[in-house]
Amino acid sequence: MGLLSILRKLKSTPDQEVRILLLGLDNGGKTTLLKQLASEDISHITPTQGFNIKSVQSQGFKLNVWDIGGQRKIRPYWRNYFENTDVLIYVIDSADRKRFEETGQELAELLDEEKLNGVPVLIFANKQDLLTAAPASEIAEGLNLHTIRDRVWQIQACSALTAEGIQEGMNWVCKSVNAKKK
Amino acid sequence: MEQEMCYNAREDESCLCAVEYVQRLALESGAVQSAKRDSGDNKVSNHHQLEWTLGETWFHNMRMLGYIWEYVYASFLRYWLKWAARQVTGSCELQRICTGFQPGATRTSKAEYSLQFSKNKITGYASLYTCVEDLRKETFSSDNMGHEDMLLKLWKLLMPAVKLESRVTKQWGDIGFQGDDPKTDFRGMGMLGLTNLVFFSEHYTEEARQVLSHANHPKLGYSYAIVGINLTEMAYSLLKSGDLKPHFYNTVTEHPELHHFHHLYCYLAYEFDKFWVASKPQSIMEFNHYREKFHSHVKVSLQQPGVALKLTGFSQH
Repeated sequence: MGLLSILRKLKSTPDQEVRILLLGLDNGGKTTLLKQLASEDISHITPTQGFNIKSVQSQGFKLNVWDIGGQRKIRPYWRNYFENTDVLIYVIDSADRKRFEETGQELAELLDEEKLNGVPVLIFANKQDLLTAAPASEIAEGLNLHTIRDRVWQIQACSALTAEGIQEGMNWVCKSVNAKKK
Repeated sequence: MEQEMCYNAREDESCLCAVEYVQRLALESGAVQSAKRDSGDNKVSNHHQLEWTLGETWFHNMRMLGYIWEYVYASFLRYWLKWAARQVTGSCELQRICTGFQPGATRTSKAEYSLQFSKNKITGYASLYTCVEDLRKETFSSDNMGHEDMLLKLWKLLMPAVKLESRVTKQWGDIGFQGDDPKTDFRGMGMLGLTNLVFFSEHYTEEARQVLSHANHPKLGYSYAIVGINLTEMAYSLLKSGDLKPHFYNTVTEHPELHHFHHLYCYLAYEFDKFWVASKPQSIMEFNHYREKFHSHVKVSLQQPGVALKLTGFSQH
């Protein structure tokens, strides 16, 4: 008993928990991104009905990542997951130009949500592995990201398929959580 | 174990199908004929080329003979030779291999060959997995007329009274796809997902339409096609992990084929719907919770030695 409690005390303080909300239109690559973060196989992905949640250890944080389905029918449920969100990750299919307007509208609505006030937002310009993908700078311009003044934000080009750019994005997430907690 | 081995050996029969052989033969003779035609057209054919052509023809003939021999041996001779050897020695092929060779590569290779050429349930399960995996890896392509036709067929089977206004339309949402073009919804399940959806609607039309009507319920509803693709993933992972073995060993007398797998999907689609409706979930957001629950129920029933997962709907199949 005594020894056990000493050992427990010796164990470093538990990882700080961070709540991350993963949103975006359907077929943007949210689930693939989630599986990449958890180092899981990405070859058997199916469309998300409802939501998925996974916990990932990273840089002394325990990241609880909520991946919510992006289908139009499900979007009204997004608001049920806003509470206590530390960082919002918004995923865009950079090759789906036909839906840039729709994805921009959804993002603008999210940034207007009271419960997400001041929450840092990372935008993943996903699917950069596709030849037809728009560069992150073009997306940033199209979405008028430079007009965001009420929070820190970042846009990161990535490919959830090849994992390129994901680490950089997650480093920014951890950095912004640290800055917020201080 | 010994009994099992004898059983396998008795069941032994050629796996190599005749059609494949005939196709190969046709290919070979076609090649020979074109070689002959080439040399005939070219009147000033030089000596070397003629020699080469003759050599080619001889080579092709020998290969053809080889194939014929292989086919005759694998389909008839091997069977009778084994039967004769069994009568004489009183032991089956695997027993003969085990007593005749020291443990090591030779013995194992011979046993492997013997088992591979047995059209039995054990090797059948592995080849079913290969077929399923091939179909899963085939991605849906709008350039493929066959794929497009299947998609339209799915619509007609489920919504016989409603005309699809165009290929890309919001109407796809009525049968539970996410957006206005289903092509992005098959994801990691590829053509396996679409084939299962079509199979269910075609072979259990009444049941599929009943499930769709539940899925379109304003409160307890879910996305029919998307959930179907998720259930294809469930069937696939059960097959991959080997959990489906008892089911197929009990329900299929010969080796299991692709349609047996489609029937299993139909069972899951029909049973999941019943389970979902009976559970009265709060909203679609609880899908993964109930999916997991249903998955464990199925796994428990697959552990029963006498398991046979059959859809018991309203019509006879």
